[in-house]
Amino acid sequence: MERAVPLAVPLGQTEVFQALQRLHMTIFSQSVSPCGKFLAAGNNYGQIAIFSLSSALSSEAKEETHDGPVYSMVSTDRHLLSAGDGEVKAWLWAEMLKKGCKELWRRQPPYRTSLEVPEINALLLVPKENSLILAGGDCQLHTMDLETGTFTRVLRGHTDYIHCLALRERSPEVLSGGEDGAVRLWDLRTAKEVQTIEVYKHEECSRPHNGRWIGCLATDSDWMVCGGGPALTLWHLRSSTPTTIFPIRAPQKHVTFYQDLILSAGQGRCVNQWQLSGELKAQVPGSSPGLLSLSLNQQPAAPECKVLTAAGNSCRVDVFTNLGYRAFSLSF
Amino acid sequence: MSSESSKKRKPKVIRSDGAPAEGKRNRSDTEQEGKYYSEEAEVDLRDPGRDYELYKYTCQELQRLMAEIQDLKSRGGKDVAIEIEERRIQSCVHFMTLKKLNRLAHIRLKKGRDQTHEAKQKVDAYHLQLQNLLYEVMHLQKEITKCLEFKSKHEEIDLVSLEEFYKEAPPDISKAEVTMGDPHQQTLARLDWELEQRKRLAEKYRECLSNKEKILKEIEVKKEYLSSLQPRLNSIMQASLPVQEYLFMPFDQAHKQYETARHLPPPLYVLFVQATAYGQACDKTLSVAIEGSVDEAKALFKPPEDSQDDESDSDAEEEQTTRRRPTLGVQLDDKRKEMLKRHPLSVMLDLKCKDDSVLHLTFYYLMNLNIMTVKAKVTTAMELITPISAGDLLSPDSVLSCLYPGDHGKKTPNPANQYQFDKVGILTLSDYVLELGHPYLWVQKLGGLHFPKEQPQQTVIADHSLSASHMETTMKLLKTRVQSRLALHKQFASLEHGIVPVTSDCQYLFPAKVVSRLVKWVTVAHEDYMELHFTKDIVDAGLAGDTNLYYMALIERGTAKLQAAVVLNPGYSSIPPVFQLCLNWKGEKTNSNDDNIRAMEGEVNVCYKELCGPWPSHQLLTNQLQRLCVLLDVYLETESHDDSVEGPKEFPQEKMCLRLFRGPSRMKPFKYNHPQGFFSHR
Repeated sequence: MERAVPLAVPLGQTEVFQALQRLHMTIFSQSVSPCGKFLAAGNNYGQIAIFSLSSALSSEAKEETHDGPVYSMVSTDRHLLSAGDGEVKAWLWAEMLKKGCKELWRRQPPYRTSLEVPEINALLLVPKENSLILAGGDCQLHTMDLETGTFTRVLRGHTDYIHCLALRERSPEVLSGGEDGAVRLWDLRTAKEVQTIEVYKHEECSRPHNGRWIGCLATDSDWMVCGGGPALTLWHLRSSTPTTIFPIRAPQKHVTFYQDLILSAGQGRCVNQWQLSGELKAQVPGSSPGLLSLSLNQQPAAPECKVLTAAGNSCRVDVFTNLGYRAFSLSF
Repeated sequence: MSSESSKKRKPKVIRSDGAPAEGKRNRSDTEQEGKYYSEEAEVDLRDPGRDYELYKYTCQELQRLMAEIQDLKSRGGKDVAIEIEERRIQSCVHFMTLKKLNRLAHIRLKKGRDQTHEAKQKVDAYHLQLQNLLYEVMHLQKEITKCLEFKSKHEEIDLVSLEEFYKEAPPDISKAEVTMGDPHQQTLARLDWELEQRKRLAEKYRECLSNKEKILKEIEVKKEYLSSLQPRLNSIMQASLPVQEYLFMPFDQAHKQYETARHLPPPLYVLFVQATAYGQACDKTLSVAIEGSVDEAKALFKPPEDSQDDESDSDAEEEQTTRRRPTLGVQLDDKRKEMLKRHPLSVMLDLKCKDDSVLHLTFYYLMNLNIMTVKAKVTTAMELITPISAGDLLSPDSVLSCLYPGDHGKKTPNPANQYQFDKVGILTLSDYVLELGHPYLWVQKLGGLHFPKEQPQQTVIADHSLSASHMETTMKLLKTRVQSRLALHKQFASLEHGIVPVTSDCQYLFPAKVVSRLVKWVTVAHEDYMELHFTKDIVDAGLAGDTNLYYMALIERGTAKLQAAVVLNPGYSSIPPVFQLCLNWKGEKTNSNDDNIRAMEGEVNVCYKELCGPWPSHQLLTNQLQRLCVLLDVYLETESHDDSVEGPKEFPQEKMCLRLFRGPSRMKPFKYNHPQGFFSHR
């Protein structure tokens, strides 16, 4: 089958460089604005782009914000918090659309080693305490108070770097999954580890050829779904038993509960929709060869912008207005 | 009838009723004249009117008598005969009368005629006389007028005016006292003076003529002298050549060049002037020369009248040879050749680079298409052994391709040429590019030809300012191009032997020990590159055009084989080569299914600036290849061990890494830190 050859554009040095950059771009994180109309995406070059979901044009603003990749972002009701190479920075959403926006503040949690600055892989907002939990390369969870900016507690326990965090609202407890293959539950009030689930030790879900790392976590109070090196599994937290194993071979990098479905994405083009029983409801292909983050815009302020966005190993953010198909792609 | 005839006539018996006495009397009268009876005389005496009456009466009588005879005859009887006889006699008498009357009438007529005739003759005679006289009068009048009109020749001569005459003429000619009074004498004197003057002037004229002859001869002599001077001067100049060379002032050579330059077409002339200027001002290693036949160039410019004659002649010839007209295909071929004809003169530029390699550029001008083309050749100081993969690097066809982005030199830059091509059935210029040279855009700019993008212009004038503004950049680009190509040439020779040539000043970019080896380095065709399954992204991004060169490198370590498909842009090394990887080790891994392969590609493609090395960055490609070897090492050594599989790791970790994995995509540490010598993440 012949491939359609695109017209060769006369390429100078800058055009070639930009094209190469875009080819090798990975979008790690996304976050929706509190008004629900904007989407922020952070990539591996340290840039954050703001897309307007209501008009769906190319990015309204593009900032060189971090020195390293922007691994994770969350939004409070007025701020956008982004974290990457060791620092967390805050931005005002209202200011973000203007050019040359400066960060509101930046904070670095107290690290033990100074040889290499560890990355921050996950950010988690705890609205009840008005605090932010950071976790990443130094294998610890740091809590930062959003009002004062001080780092209140440090939770140690992981033996390898932490990939992902999830919040269990009722308790309140924080779940963290890491490279060491364990999912640890921490009680925020006592700052102690409550439960440990070593996923790779369970034979049903472990996949040694992929490794033991836990790449994604999502929790729904009693239930938790996690995946990564081991297979994507649904756990019952109290009994720490795997109830459903989702039959997908590719390691998943992001998973979330949505209504009565579980959405997951990872290596492979598709966003997978699972029933709780483990059946694959739908596989919707996106435009990136691998996906790293999903974001659901469920802000009540903008119901018309209720979309699912997925981004990963390319310079494009896929927008799914209806979960059944990909509507269009935003380009970084 | 003359009276002589009447005299000869015999006398006749007259019986007239009227006057017998008169008859007698008449006789007696006429006897006096002679004894001739003249009826003519009688005619004069009788009255024609009375004769007419008589005639009428006689006729009546005759009629009556006839009638009576008739009656008598019809009555019949004896007496009748006598009466009839009587009447017959009477009738006879009447007949006689009638005869006489007739005769008289005739005579009257004759007389009348004679009289008329005589009168007529007189009149004729007078008439003749009148005519003669008139004729003579006319003749005399003519003569008079002739005489009056006669102009003597002397009146045609413009004589000097009277005052002048009296002033200038010597007194023996003018004779004032005589001539003043007598106009005839005056005129004669004036004529004399005129004659004298003319004689004098004729003398002068002859003298002047002879003078002129003399002077002309002198001029001839001097001319010959001068023309004999020219060859002597030439020989002096020839003799001075060695001296010029000795003193390094090649005026003669430059002079000759300028001479030939005068015959160059405008764009080549602009190029020549600008290149010479640039060479003298900025770059001593640039040499400019003109090649080609000056006579042919001169022959191109025929004067217009001649060409018109030629046309008519050729038309005539064509009519004669209509039968022998060549086939359509041959005609079209000829037309094409005509369209693509080159000017006989061409400009040659030699760019010398630091390492004694020379880039020879020959610029041609296509007259009908109004564009310039260039042919390039690279010669090196030493003989180059061309490695197999470097075949295209220095080939004259592609060495100058894409000097400026997008300038591939396969299409004519003049939009007007498309219409010309349609007429003769040429599809594109790219078919003829090999023999004609490449019409790059920078070549047109050097010749001062500026073609606007959309509309074709009627005439494009060669512009010096355009050429000047581009000259320096283009020369620099050309030099960098040649040097980078030569550097690549050398590098390819080494790469084909499996050695990645890393220069000492780039050693710091890599760790001391690199285990992966480059095993293969080959050229790949453009179509084959497009068909590879792991190059789809590059092709879709439009980075793999047909002006690029494609190669395949194979790096191996142990059982792992890494294939790297390389796109080399003609603008190397300002535009980096682009790598796409495919690793065969425990399955096939490409950028679509392994994030780390993607990161490796990013390390060489996006972070190439660190690998450029000292300027000019000829080491970029080799550094990239070396980095790929290092990355493969890191990849293989940091691969997490699969606990379920038995046996030791194939590649024990030898590289110093702080952390093996980082970030949500679990990247390996690909960044090498110098001088500490450990690997970390970006």
